Amino acid sequence: MEALRVEGLSKDFGGVHALSDVSFSVKAGERLVIIGPNGAGKTTLFNLINGQLRPTSGRIYFFGQDITTVATHRRTQLGQGRSFQTISLFPNITVIDNTLIALHGTKRSRFQMFRSTKEYKHLLASAREMLTAVALWEKRDDLVQALGYGEQRRLEVTLSLASEPKLLLLDEPSSGLTSAESADITDMIRNLGKDITVLLVAHDIDLVFGVAERIIVLHYGQVIADGTPGEIEADPRVKEIYMGIEENEGNATAS
Amino acid sequence: MDFFVLNLLNGISFGMLLFLIASGMSIVMGLMGIVNLAHGALYMVGAYVGWTIAVHYGLNFGLAIFLGGLSAGLVGLMMERAFLRRLYKQPNEQVLLTFGFVYILTNLCIWIWGGGPRLAFTAPGLSGLIQLGGMSYPITRIAIAISGVVVAIVLWWLQDKTRFGAMIRAGMDHKEMTMGLGINLERVFMFTFFLAAFIAGIAGVIGAQLLGAYSGLSIDTLLFALIVVIVGGMGSVQGALLGAILIGIIDAFGRAMFPEFSMFTMYLVMIIILMARPKGLLGRRA
Amino acid sequence: MGIARLKETIKQPWREQLIRFAPYIVGGVILILLPAVLPLYLRSIWTKFVIFAIFAMSYDLIYGYTGLLSLGHAAYFGAGGYAAAVLMFHYGIDLLWIGVPFGILIAALTAAAFGPIALRVSGMYFLLITFALGQLLYSIAWNVKWLSKPGMQGIAGLSRPELGIPGFSWSTISFYYFVLVIFLICFFLIYRITNSPFGYALRGIREAEPRMRSLGYNTWLHKYIVYIISGAFAGLAGILFVYYNNMIVPAHLAVGTSFLPMVMVIIGGSGTLLGPVIGSLVVIFVEYFASLFTPERWPLILGAIFVIAIMYARGGISIHLSRLWKRISYRYGSIKS
Repeated sequence: MEALRVEGLSKDFGGVHALSDVSFSVKAGERLVIIGPNGAGKTTLFNLINGQLRPTSGRIYFFGQDITTVATHRRTQLGQGRSFQTISLFPNITVIDNTLIALHGTKRSRFQMFRSTKEYKHLLASAREMLTAVALWEKRDDLVQALGYGEQRRLEVTLSLASEPKLLLLDEPSSGLTSAESADITDMIRNLGKDITVLLVAHDIDLVFGVAERIIVLHYGQVIADGTPGEIEADPRVKEIYMGIEENEGNATAS
Repeated sequence: MDFFVLNLLNGISFGMLLFLIASGMSIVMGLMGIVNLAHGALYMVGAYVGWTIAVHYGLNFGLAIFLGGLSAGLVGLMMERAFLRRLYKQPNEQVLLTFGFVYILTNLCIWIWGGGPRLAFTAPGLSGLIQLGGMSYPITRIAIAISGVVVAIVLWWLQDKTRFGAMIRAGMDHKEMTMGLGINLERVFMFTFFLAAFIAGIAGVIGAQLLGAYSGLSIDTLLFALIVVIVGGMGSVQGALLGAILIGIIDAFGRAMFPEFSMFTMYLVMIIILMARPKGLLGRRA
Repeated sequence: MGIARLKETIKQPWREQLIRFAPYIVGGVILILLPAVLPLYLRSIWTKFVIFAIFAMSYDLIYGYTGLLSLGHAAYFGAGGYAAAVLMFHYGIDLLWIGVPFGILIAALTAAAFGPIALRVSGMYFLLITFALGQLLYSIAWNVKWLSKPGMQGIAGLSRPELGIPGFSWSTISFYYFVLVIFLICFFLIYRITNSPFGYALRGIREAEPRMRSLGYNTWLHKYIVYIISGAFAGLAGILFVYYNNMIVPAHLAVGTSFLPMVMVIIGGSGTLLGPVIGSLVVIFVEYFASLFTPERWPLILGAIFVIAIMYARGGISIHLSRLWKRISYRYGSIKS
């Protein structure tokens, strides 16, 4: 079963070709990592898959369904979940409320106007589970803006799981984290069940090789290589670009 | 034919005044992302100061224009430095703040100059009519149109031909990159805001020949400025000019043909453009 | 709050309960009892404050909770008011039970019509388009003869609405209690809405709309729904205002009137329940007292207070009050701070 298939995807911004003729597919349950230098088009690709952008040409299939022009919120209803490269939480709201908002997202209750959010016992239980797993339950009544960066990152990734997605899109989930925190994220992703397909954009080599069953390399908006971690490591073209990634490690990321 | 030509001339001359009013606001919106709702109030300050110099003290009209512009410019500068700058990352609050200033400035002017009827004035030597191919036309309107053209040329030159203009355009297109290139965007902002206010002030004096000086100017000119900027697009001199002339002409013919509904037409045009092409016809902001 | 929740609440120590609800109890007592002891002229101002509190709360829904900065909310206030006024003036229908629902309906329909237009854009453009829509209605009210009493702009000389009870006539105090009941209903409804999943969704939209979409929310629909609800509440305030003021003019649809709930919400504190109410209290009463001593300087004072509130009182009065309250309750109660 194909969780995701992308065919001939291109995205132009004025004269800039952010993505050119990108094609690949992801099997259900697979862990696919996308790497490439800054500006290679990785986040653009995510924005196309998740619906923030429409492609200039090409098609996107999600579990066999053509979702190329489907709105983002519908894609989430269909089973996508996404975390963002720049932390995208609700800063003036408490951790627990952030989580509850995320949990209501795919439930009919999101239109409910008369019952209090705190009344949904089963969602409160889910929130407790989720937050405890990332050691944030004690801080549940703190405002998100009071959390440290690492804690916010953990919450960022956790929230993307709230909708129980079939396909999880993680955009640089360890960006800005210490190696210890990064290792935690890596473990978290490795512990996700096989009923979730994971598509990951990452720069951190430990994270990449710790999670990947397959790697795709993007460069200037095109797919340069697509194969197992072993194949990618051995690929001479990738080595050239790979050296570039190592040198650029530590710079602000922007793809 | 006469009807058509007369209204066309009225439209163009009023349009040039609108350009004077709106050009500064457009550039500030495009560059700083600030909707300066107090822009009309700055125009009003210029008009009142101009009246004081030209009529109350009977001094040179050119001096009145300069001082009108200067006082508006200084008020604008104070707004930017003391208040707006502190709210750098909060665009909502900035807009609200400018609206607070509308109330403050309007009421201050009423306090100083009284809330009475319009103070009218005309530059000496510019009153009267001129013969244009069988038709008589007020010289003041022609003078306004010419001033508008002069300012338009100066601004266009500033925008396209000077380094400062390049910095403004770069700042509009990509703020972070511009700052990264070592350009002191803060200073550019400050000067641009002052310039916009200055132009509003001289517009106030020049336009007073048509509109006079009264406290309602702050809202009345704001309305027009917003419509011009929406239609023409924010951030460019060309946009402000195109929008201003279009609106001036629509207004002139509207008033001549359906006088009660002229403002209604304005707002309708504004809404249609906002829906179909929010960036305006020649808008520039990224 | 369901029965189960109520039972749970009652089980908690009574001191904690008292402290938690004290602000609302005190506020309720003041609202109910104070006007009875106020002199007549102040009673009337107090009524005006409660009416504008509803208007301000409606604005807080879209601005404070959802983050939509609108410059034309008076369009719905005026739409409701004009609907009630026209019913009375042209059709002689002055029954309150018809006027109020009808006015709310008209205001809600206006918001439903304007919503898709305004929500096509965001940020600066949303500000401008809401401004234009408000001014559009203002120019319609100004020009369409049918919306004015002959010889003037707007409709004046209206009497208080009929209750349908024979022999009943309004006094200042009975009219106040009528307004108070409506206010309390509105307050309760808004309390429910803002604490519901829908209300939290609005907050999420305010904080990070793209994230909300990725979480599954149709943010446009949420915004549209709250826009209509907010318009309905604003219209209700407009109706009450017409009943109170006995007249309505085109200016009640224009930007000057739109500014009032904005000032109130900023001063009182946006995104809170009590903020708009406190803001309305401050603005209406400062206006009244200013008008006694320096009537011409009132807009200057209002503008200055507004500017100060924006610059220095982030969160408004209600944040400072609630911090103060937390400190008091921490000292005297057993609540964990």
